[in-house]
Amino acid sequence: MIRARIIGAAVLVGVALAAVASTASGGTKADSITVWLQVDAQAENWAPIVKAASDQFEKAHPGVTVDVQYQTWTDHLKKFDATLAGGNAPDVIEMGNTEMTKYMAAGAFQDLTSLKGSFANSSTWLAGLAAAGVYNKKTFGVPYYAGSRVVTYRTDLFKKAKIKVPQTLAQFATDARRLAATGSGKSFSPVYLAGTDWYAAMSFVYEYGGSIASQAGGKWKGELGSPRSIAGLTAFKTFFQAASRASKTTDETHPNPYDVYAQGKAAAIVGPAWFSCCVGKKYTKTTAQFVMPGRTAGQPLPGFLGGSILAVPVGGDKALGADWIKAYTSNQSMTALRSIGNIPNTTSLLGNSVNERAAKRSWFVPTAKNWVNVENGNILRNMLAQILTGKLTVKQAAQSASDNIARVLNADL
Amino acid sequence: MSAAAVPRRRRSARGRARSTGWNVLALLLCAVMVFPVFWMLSTAFKPDDEINGDTPTWFSLSPTLQHFRDAMNRPYFWDTVQNSLVVVCVTVVASIVLAFLAAVALAKYRFTGRKVFLVLMIGILMLPAAGLVIPLYVVLARYHLTNTLTGVILTYMTFVLPFAVWTLRGFVLGIPKDLEEAAMVDGSSRIGAFVRILLPLVAPGLVATSVFVFITTWNEYIFASVLLSDQSNQTVTVWLSYFYGTSRNTDWGGLMAASTLTAIPVVVFFLLVQRRIMFGLTAGAVRG
Amino acid sequence: MARSPVPHTPTAAVAAPPLRVRRRRPLSTARVAQGAAPYLLVLPVVVAIGAILGYPLYRLVTLSFQRYGLPELIQRHGSWVGLENYRSVLSDSVFWDTLVRTIVFTVVNVTLTMVLGMLIALLLVRVVAPVRIVLMTCLVLVWAMPAVVAVQVWYWMTNFQNGVLNHILTQLHVGDYDQHDWYATTFSKLAMVTLLVVWGALPFVAISLYAGLAQVPPELVEAAKIDGAGPLRVFRDITFPTLRPIVFILTSLSIIWDFGVFTQPYLLIGSAHVDSSNYLMGVYVYIEGYAHSDFGRGAAISMLMLLIVAALSVVYVRGKVRMEEIT
Repeated sequence: MIRARIIGAAVLVGVALAAVASTASGGTKADSITVWLQVDAQAENWAPIVKAASDQFEKAHPGVTVDVQYQTWTDHLKKFDATLAGGNAPDVIEMGNTEMTKYMAAGAFQDLTSLKGSFANSSTWLAGLAAAGVYNKKTFGVPYYAGSRVVTYRTDLFKKAKIKVPQTLAQFATDARRLAATGSGKSFSPVYLAGTDWYAAMSFVYEYGGSIASQAGGKWKGELGSPRSIAGLTAFKTFFQAASRASKTTDETHPNPYDVYAQGKAAAIVGPAWFSCCVGKKYTKTTAQFVMPGRTAGQPLPGFLGGSILAVPVGGDKALGADWIKAYTSNQSMTALRSIGNIPNTTSLLGNSVNERAAKRSWFVPTAKNWVNVENGNILRNMLAQILTGKLTVKQAAQSASDNIARVLNADL
Repeated sequence: MSAAAVPRRRRSARGRARSTGWNVLALLLCAVMVFPVFWMLSTAFKPDDEINGDTPTWFSLSPTLQHFRDAMNRPYFWDTVQNSLVVVCVTVVASIVLAFLAAVALAKYRFTGRKVFLVLMIGILMLPAAGLVIPLYVVLARYHLTNTLTGVILTYMTFVLPFAVWTLRGFVLGIPKDLEEAAMVDGSSRIGAFVRILLPLVAPGLVATSVFVFITTWNEYIFASVLLSDQSNQTVTVWLSYFYGTSRNTDWGGLMAASTLTAIPVVVFFLLVQRRIMFGLTAGAVRG
Repeated sequence: MARSPVPHTPTAAVAAPPLRVRRRRPLSTARVAQGAAPYLLVLPVVVAIGAILGYPLYRLVTLSFQRYGLPELIQRHGSWVGLENYRSVLSDSVFWDTLVRTIVFTVVNVTLTMVLGMLIALLLVRVVAPVRIVLMTCLVLVWAMPAVVAVQVWYWMTNFQNGVLNHILTQLHVGDYDQHDWYATTFSKLAMVTLLVVWGALPFVAISLYAGLAQVPPELVEAAKIDGAGPLRVFRDITFPTLRPIVFILTSLSIIWDFGVFTQPYLLIGSAHVDSSNYLMGVYVYIEGYAHSDFGRGAAISMLMLLIVAALSVVYVRGKVRMEEIT
């Protein structure tokens, strides 16, 4: 009787599992490739570009289907790690440009150097973006698209304060003081910048000729303590004090600058160009963008070039993966990507939009395999909080952060 | 008799006031506890600029259904709801059945290895899941079960079974011996007696455990997200992560609307079974 | 609401042995195993768990003795370093600070959860049926909310810029809380996390305790009341002893979960603000092991966490098993 019970239970479970297995799709078939793109590419105006590339690929490779799986930025690295361990990594993966170095150093990608010439516009790839796909002089990644940082501003408030688009940083700071009068409330920022927005702060550092870290003989040396970097940080502090009423200790997503803007609490915000999407119904008509000026007229402040790289993981099909990437980064595809507001991967297609002009001068984080640990450890954020709250002098905070960064970057080298 | 009646009458006037007090307190407590849920609901109906506005509003004066429409129009909404339902239902049924069998063994028999088995069950509860995600993925990859609902179900079962075994053992232990003995006097075999007479007594426990399995597997995220890479296979919690996983702004209204929608099956399930639990449990307190 | 990544099945009640006037007969079912019956009954569970968890468990242990970073993950081959990972973790002051912080956090959370849960359960007994259903539905609504959504709503309610908490407190004239930052200090960050975790844990504990309270024999309570016992005495002498087994189970489960909690602290404090000054063990193992892709070290920390939680819980487990041997 008891045996009957057990058999009955087992059958029940087995049938259920079989039913489930038959409805769920299995792993990848032998004649298909798996492409991991980020969910940004699933947007209505973007998905057709992906489809066009896949169609072109399938025409060139009859019998091979393309399975595009969209991933989220929050999880995709965890999932990538799991597939690498399990041996079923995708054939193409989109990586953020700051995520690449760690994985290239670990040998996660296949060497595409020999195929480099076959990618469209490879001789005119955006230098800053392409550099993120190179390690030890070998090319592991193909630049995909980029976005830079611009100033989104209230045209009506600028008119009210009788100022035009500033051409230099100094001019901008002066304008900020005039803008302060146009708004009300103690939390109104002429230019809203979060205190620990290190992307903005490092732009100042690079503008003054400093940098975050440099490599010599295989070892990393922190550069934030150098006189030029300190000058840049001091300039940032001055600008912040003149222009921003944001919290000195919170980051650039709490609150989101565009939310502050939409609430009427900022005359201008600094951030990616897509901020214009979310400025609120009230101000959509009175919003425009300009390039953040540097110290000399006509030169933009070097902006952080955020972007994505496409690579072929080990275990994926190199030939097929590279072919898909070729289709997706073709001239036609890049032109389409540009038309929806992205910065294309080649200077030959660069136009004159605010976003693209801002990309003319850019900086990038040190291409160290441990850079991610610097970000995760919030070293730069803590340094900025210390500087802005006055807990430490610029020199002390910068030196301490510099030493920290060197220690983290050099850990098990 | 009269001595007992007087105190009862005296108590009732004071007692009524006191019990009103408890009822009011309970309702107040309800309001406080459920406030974040209310906030989620009210946000789902607010237009975007009210959500991000600088003064919070309790209710929107111009509520909108746009977020719900957006959520349901998102790719794979119905697919993921279906996937979640399949995963949760199969996990609940399979784990309750298997756990019940093991619980009977633990409660009714004394066999060597019983203590070890119990300790193992508890030990599994203490395992840190973060460390197991990747090795588990590797195992499932060997069985070709990655990116399948079956793989997810098997994973959930391994974590759910220890709890279910532990709980159901307690329920089985709680069945009064007399009822079992009485059944056997009728001449039925031990197992027959157990099934026919005692199963209904354990039913509330089975139902209660299944509610808890339902809720926790419905909301499970980390394993589902790593094991399921194809959107058409994903469960509801992974689908939700796409609302805040882009590199651009998060659609908060949509996320709140989507969360409300995905919480509905859980609440429905609970409302369907709650009377069974409470009635069954209190009935169990009746002693012969 | 799952408080840890592991899907749990919180128990409704491990039925408390009913208090009887006469001594309960010893387990008369304690015969020698009827042939293979118990083993066959247990077999499906063992197979199901063993087939899936067996290798990962073995892997977790072996990983803790290896140097296993991202390159090793890709090559699928690590190098043996013996106790090096453990040595490095145990000599790291961050580990000990985090451990102490987490123990304090766990004690506070578990105490709050159990005490408040018990109070709610007692309340559930005393109210009329419609109110009871309303309260239980409220509890289930709280329980059904996914952790990520709950964290986001919590953050909205408490953020300094436009949080409704500041708004209410200022309107009620409790003080000027306009733009008050509830996350300014480490203590306040962890206090907020505690509130959130306890809030999410209450439904399960309250409902389980309520189910257990239903087992308290009403005749005994009536008899005690007629004898003149006040409510506190009734609770201490009749109610609580009945509930003791359930309380034990709930407490040990809460210890396990609160010790390893990850989602709430990591998301509520925010990845931009999480650092060694506010680590809890769950966050620590994630950052040290997985964010840094040092899987060997992460495995070592996981094993240490397992040992610590086991040590903390063994008292309760022993007490529970012994309790049932007596009755």
